[in-house]
Amino acid sequence: MSDQLVQILEGNTFVVSDDRGDIEASRTDPTGLFSFDTRFLSRWVLTVNGQRLTALSTDDLQYFQTRFFLVPGSGTVYVDSKLSVIRQRAVADGFHEELRVLNHESKPVDLTLRMEAGSDFADLFEVKDALKKKGSYHTAVADGNLVLSYRRDSYTRETWISSTTPAQLDEHGLTFAITVPPHGEWSTELEVVASAGAEDGSTSGPIGIRGDGHRHVRQDMARGLEKWLRRAPSVECDWEAVERIYRRCMTDLAALRFSTLTMPGRSLPAAGLPWFMTIFGRDSIFTSLQALPFTSELASTTLMALAERQGTRIDDFRDEDPGRILHEMRYGEMTAFEERPHSPYYGNADATALYVVLLDEYERWTGDTKLVRDLERAARAALNWIDEYADLQGNGYVSYQRRNAKTGLENQCWKDSWDSISYRNGDLPGFPRATCELQGYAYDAKVRGARLARHVWKDTALADRLEKEAADLKRRFNRDFWVEDGEYFAVAIDGDGRQVDSLTSNIGHLLWSGIVDKSKAKAIARHLLGPKLFSGWGVRTLAEGEARYNPIGYHVGTVWPFDNSFIAWGLRRYGFRDEAAAIMAGIMEAAEIFDGRLPEAFGGYQRSSTMYPVQYPTACSPQAWSTGAPLLLLRTGLGLEPQGDKLIVDPALPMRMGNLELLDLPGRWKHIDAFGRGRVDTDRFTLR
Amino acid sequence: MAPPPASPKPGADPISKFFASLAAPGQIATFAGESATLRFDVTSGSKMQHWYLTINNGSVSITRDNSPADAIVQLERPYLEDIVTGRLNAQAAMLRQVLTVDGSMAALMMFQRCLPGPRGSTGRVAPISSQTVMAQRRPM
Repeated sequence: MSDQLVQILEGNTFVVSDDRGDIEASRTDPTGLFSFDTRFLSRWVLTVNGQRLTALSTDDLQYFQTRFFLVPGSGTVYVDSKLSVIRQRAVADGFHEELRVLNHESKPVDLTLRMEAGSDFADLFEVKDALKKKGSYHTAVADGNLVLSYRRDSYTRETWISSTTPAQLDEHGLTFAITVPPHGEWSTELEVVASAGAEDGSTSGPIGIRGDGHRHVRQDMARGLEKWLRRAPSVECDWEAVERIYRRCMTDLAALRFSTLTMPGRSLPAAGLPWFMTIFGRDSIFTSLQALPFTSELASTTLMALAERQGTRIDDFRDEDPGRILHEMRYGEMTAFEERPHSPYYGNADATALYVVLLDEYERWTGDTKLVRDLERAARAALNWIDEYADLQGNGYVSYQRRNAKTGLENQCWKDSWDSISYRNGDLPGFPRATCELQGYAYDAKVRGARLARHVWKDTALADRLEKEAADLKRRFNRDFWVEDGEYFAVAIDGDGRQVDSLTSNIGHLLWSGIVDKSKAKAIARHLLGPKLFSGWGVRTLAEGEARYNPIGYHVGTVWPFDNSFIAWGLRRYGFRDEAAAIMAGIMEAAEIFDGRLPEAFGGYQRSSTMYPVQYPTACSPQAWSTGAPLLLLRTGLGLEPQGDKLIVDPALPMRMGNLELLDLPGRWKHIDAFGRGRVDTDRFTLR
Repeated sequence: MAPPPASPKPGADPISKFFASLAAPGQIATFAGESATLRFDVTSGSKMQHWYLTINNGSVSITRDNSPADAIVQLERPYLEDIVTGRLNAQAAMLRQVLTVDGSMAALMMFQRCLPGPRGSTGRVAPISSQTVMAQRRPM
């Protein structure tokens, strides 16, 4: 098929079509019009006099709008067409498509235009796993609309298709018998509405919610994007790639904004386009942390939205416990019929501690103590979860083991693929598993929770207790996880209390959390920038030399930009300025090669052997926390650290950056400018 | 459309029991600082009953009077019985359209936070050994 295009609107409605604007999805092919995790159009094919069209060019006008320039014919031979067709599509609750036919001849021309339309109403999970539908399909022509519908019990999803110029409608599409005047033009506007099949197909939205109006307005989207970019701090840098990367990141972050049904008008970062346009606890929190110096709205919305859906009961199917922060929320048919647990699913062991970390970091930047007070209940419940529900082995460590063995997640840490956690010899540990970074997050949550308890909630007893627990956790952790013969921390403790002893990037997150004893930090930094972990572009997920190491293995050898941005933050925290600058240099240079848009992961090959970073094949781009990585690296490079009402600037930048300026950084200091000059020679790390 | 689930034996009214338990002092710790009123329109054959659940700055009261609501929740009685006894997930019920909401979704979210989990959920599961994991997984 032709090249795929993705177009998106804020929220979770998106279209994936070929470069002609056509959609011809098979059961497992991820093209179509999707909204709320359901495919509302799987067929949308335009013909002129029975002929398919050929794309001359395609313009991505905005992330929610695309224009296709087409001519009739197959495109296999040179076409000197007397006709042009322009399709301009914008995504809303469904999409809006303007169709124009231009006659370049000096006589009128009679044409038959046909738009084939159909839908399989597949759930995203069904597209992924090639599953069969259980309901029935209906098609009706009523009042100038072609209505495609799907029903299973009371569950109804409909696609309403209409045209502003009269069309002949049948069950498979729309036909226009038209005459285009000499050197003239004919046009129509097609409206495709995704609906949950209320009496009035246009008002209930794609999942049947009335009230709180979540209808999107295209003009507002364009204005919203401009405003978003205008309000963001500006970046100036002698290495001009940095300005381009920054602009790309802020634009992609705008496209990744997602409004929940409970908070229309506010946005949080969804995890990735297009398949992960939903709330993910972990991804939304990490991205909010990365973006905090540039925008705090993502963080505050994330904190509120996750609190609303915080676990309150024991539910084994959803891996839910009281206080647990959700993992993933979905709205499709399989979730509706409880064939999948995503309503929401809670199977992660990190987002709950990270929730408290984000709340504290948010307050340090913004001074918004009101939100910290409003979310006191949620934060206390999260802190309580760490001790009451996460210590599955009774050994004082956060562990995970899914209770939903059928559709739950096996690895409930950010490295969530099946083989991500292994011993040096490649064996996989049993369950429960206590991965090391979870202990770091828990430690940080206690330290930061104590600060909030002392200064905002005015609960000294809680603050004292949390500080004591944190100190105790740190002491035990440095004893139990330390791999003596390797001088690093084990990636996990298994169900028997044994160290899972492979060397991984997880040790970098430990620096970020502050759980590492000062005396051990130097060895950790040496490993992170050493030849087994550092590729020259960044830190590999798993060290070269470990049995499962594979430079293009998802979590077993690739380099993740997001991972590296937090590792750089951790290195700065322990005073390893040059090492942090080296990671900044590697990842920013990779970002330059990827035209500002970092992939989720790239190959862990030694930099000197490939010259270019090798992209890991993934359907999801941009990915939120990859988008956030350069933002966090700008922060760590300049050494930005809120301290009371001041912002400390302490740059340690790679030499090639030259001068770097971040202007109008918002925060409790109102607005501040930060300057730095690149003085660190990072070549000794990156060009090894 | 599938028939709604069968009602339990007469005499037991899980809905009244559930609402009463919500209003009992000390029951709800999940609503600190939040306020909302939900109206439940519960149909049973041709009859319709209303409940008003008011969350006022963390305290819960239940009435059956007419008062303005932030969200109106409509559903058939057997489904609500299933929801308040943990047999049916409220969010899934909404997506299945056996429960419809008019108004504030945030209010519905507050209601969901006080629902029980599924029966039989224990929060525990037997550990799995490394040998078992390796046996289930292909070797490298």
